[in-house]
Amino acid sequence: MAADIDFKTGLLGAVPSLRAFAVSLSQNSDRADDLVQETLVKAWDKQSSFQPGTNLKAWLFTILRNEFYSQMRKRGREVQDSDGAMTARLAVHPSQHGSMDLEDFRNALERLPEDQREAIILIGASGFSYEEAAEICECAVGTIKSRVSRARTRLQELLKVSGESDYGPDSIAAQVMGSNAA
Amino acid sequence: MKPNKDQPAATERAEPLGSNSEIGRKLKQYYDELVTEEVPDRFADLLRQLEDREAGTSARKGD
Repeated sequence: MAADIDFKTGLLGAVPSLRAFAVSLSQNSDRADDLVQETLVKAWDKQSSFQPGTNLKAWLFTILRNEFYSQMRKRGREVQDSDGAMTARLAVHPSQHGSMDLEDFRNALERLPEDQREAIILIGASGFSYEEAAEICECAVGTIKSRVSRARTRLQELLKVSGESDYGPDSIAAQVMGSNAA
Repeated sequence: MKPNKDQPAATERAEPLGSNSEIGRKLKQYYDELVTEEVPDRFADLLRQLEDREAGTSARKGD
């Protein structure tokens, strides 16, 4: 009984992280909330397969990720296009101003392949270890490392290009150095 | 209470994307904005429904 309550509290507590991960994957907030809903139902139904004491958040992320890819396979890629994501992806313009703002970053992130995007999100933002991320993505630790590295390189390329006209990459590098004095 | 010295260093986790990198910081900013969004009530409602459904089934089983 107490375990049930803990489980429910755990699920509820994980919702903000699940939503963030779902938006990062699907790039669409309505679809993201449907994914989270489906994840909670699935998690509830297979509660008995969760081992108490292990990482609930990682377990839930695994369910959400599987759900995302199975929906992708079912619905096909055109769903993303109909939401305008592809149009946006093709029409990314360099930023009007030189500093890398959040919108530039969001556009760049959207242009990464799914496997690289999820890897860099899991490691760089969701706070998982490489081992945990490998388990969530059902691949080797080395694969996660190389995806993160490729994602980082690609993001750097994309974002440098968008800032180059005004300031150029050197000044971005100088900014980074400067702001890291602390 | 002594500080726990056996805790693994957090810096080991995301070294290539640490606070030293502009990409790493933007990534966190992007994600934090998503995490701190207000959560719609539908999720708490859903969990309550799931719980009620389960309570209903086990009560029937008990009869």
